[in-house]
Amino acid sequence: MTTQLSVYADPKAEAAGAVSAVVASLPLSFGPAAGPSAEVPDVVAVAGHAGWAGRAADAIRSGASGVVVAAPVAEDTAELIGVADSAGAAVVLDQQWAGNAALAESSDNVRRVIAGALEDAVMLDSVAVAAPGTDPAHLLTEQLAVLVGCGMELRNLRVVQRNGNGYTVAGVLAGGTPVALQGILTSALPATASVTVLTSTGRADVVLPDPAAAWPAEVRVVTAEGATTLPTLYESSHRTSWARAHATVTSGKPANDLVRFAAVTSLLNQLTS
Amino acid sequence: MSGVTRSQLRIPQSSDYKEVSNLSNQAQASPALLGVGILGAGPATQAIHLPSLARLGDLLEVRHIMDVDPAVAETVAGRVGANFSTSMDELLADPAVDIVAICSPHQFHAAQVIASCRAGKKAVLCEKPFAMNGEEAARISAVSAETGVPIIVGAMHTFDPGWLAAEEAWEDLPEHVHTIRSSIVLPPNPRFEDFATEIVGRVPVPGRDSTDPDVIKAMLTGGVMGLAIHDLPLVRRFTPDFEAVEVLHAEIVRPFGYVISLRAGNVSIELRAAMNATWEPSWVFEAIGDDAALKIDFTPSYVHAGSATARIRRAGRTTVLGPFGHNGYEGEWRKLAELASGTGQAPSAETLIHDLEFALSIAEAAARRVDTGRTAGTPADEEINA
Repeated sequence: MTTQLSVYADPKAEAAGAVSAVVASLPLSFGPAAGPSAEVPDVVAVAGHAGWAGRAADAIRSGASGVVVAAPVAEDTAELIGVADSAGAAVVLDQQWAGNAALAESSDNVRRVIAGALEDAVMLDSVAVAAPGTDPAHLLTEQLAVLVGCGMELRNLRVVQRNGNGYTVAGVLAGGTPVALQGILTSALPATASVTVLTSTGRADVVLPDPAAAWPAEVRVVTAEGATTLPTLYESSHRTSWARAHATVTSGKPANDLVRFAAVTSLLNQLTS
Repeated sequence: MSGVTRSQLRIPQSSDYKEVSNLSNQAQASPALLGVGILGAGPATQAIHLPSLARLGDLLEVRHIMDVDPAVAETVAGRVGANFSTSMDELLADPAVDIVAICSPHQFHAAQVIASCRAGKKAVLCEKPFAMNGEEAARISAVSAETGVPIIVGAMHTFDPGWLAAEEAWEDLPEHVHTIRSSIVLPPNPRFEDFATEIVGRVPVPGRDSTDPDVIKAMLTGGVMGLAIHDLPLVRRFTPDFEAVEVLHAEIVRPFGYVISLRAGNVSIELRAAMNATWEPSWVFEAIGDDAALKIDFTPSYVHAGSATARIRRAGRTTVLGPFGHNGYEGEWRKLAELASGTGQAPSAETLIHDLEFALSIAEAAARRVDTGRTAGTPADEEINA
């Protein structure tokens, strides 16, 4: 039988992660907590603006078994890792693209496709699109989270250009293959992140959708034998993250999110050092 | 070397049958066909221009083909029943030639364009690039102005009906574009050449050490002048400050390709290309502003797979333009036929010169970024035609 966990989200977390709608789509797994002053909720939603690591740590100290952080900005998570480990609490990061079901650790077929392409890569090209007004630094954080989530080891990252309309970042994969990352701010295009690995004989493409709706990611691979589109998963990254949070809290198995996020912040530090 | 005469080898054209059927009514006969002469009979002529011209038999007729290799000249001319020769002068002296297409190696382009204008031809098509430096471009411009002979440069995408339809529909988009992307993924040329025709005289691409700085410089220069150059006139339409273009990053992609980042005023320009062994071509041009964006998917070169498809997105609405029935190469020839007939408007010399200067400045700056510590010995540009 599914254990129902109580959830509390303050207004900022609700806005950042569409928590009510997502929790409503997992009615056996979650139910709303009465409020912040009532019994301690099992899971607390935390908005990912600056200071989220402290707020998440506070929630755990207050007794939450898990926290879900919506759209976390880059910041130091060392203290939070310690607090979560001590309490045995789960920290799940609800990132708009990296949290997509296509990149979940359970999506073996996607991971196989990407890993296969990386073995034979001649170029990695990635584009992240967000609405005007988005902080480019946050956009880059989200984009790097996708690439780390794809299992890519990026090296020698450097900013080629950065302005109010976006950025370009260059780097290499482990074998010296060129890496080109671009962030574009526009309202004319959907807020997607694409990853294209060109290989010596084909390509692999992952297009991750805006989590505002349950658009599926598109994963397509081209080899000498033909083209394959992987099965679609009509689930927003918000719902995938919350489902993962339930599984993590109830199983007691630690989530890997903060370790991956540390890899992202390490890459960002390369760019600013 | 003199070629065989047209009458000895002439293959019946579709227009012949039309003329025969109209013998009893000369007033309804087709207008006279325009004669085409082609300098250089390599793969681009065989796989691009002859198939394009074969689709336009009611307008144009190939009458003379010149190549320095007499066997290639004769064989290719024989396919279309044209005269052949091994000298430019002989082709230019042929009164049956109204339009000259220059498909020779890059270094001959400028001299051959000038000679064609001075020979009093009705129009000239020069494969890109039409010159290798600004001085050559200025000389061409002066001769074109003096002789009045219109010149078209073979940047086929600017003649693609998908692009032209987008141009009519995009309204004020160029004023608002802040980001441009040109992304090209193509198999090696022979794959599509062999879908388009049966090539003779193909020269194998020599092996190269892509770790050699000189080779890297040549790959970057060749990539810009042979591949990116197809899209650079498109880029320039959205780049008012094109003269201020800066190359911020340039590196090669193996086995052939590039990653180049540019900035021109407030516009960020990203050029990506890879020629790998894929079977799936992809050629995408994007121009993006805050509230509107253009995306064009071009069809592969060589094969006549119709026009590009353009999509203009504004406020949640997407306008799709195309695909239309012919590609930019056929568009070039349709334009040439118009110009040679005295109708239509040729691109201004200023436009052609600015397009060339834009491409040259990017190619040179990209190559300069390869820090070899040497100032000489750069090999000739690689001619990567697509």
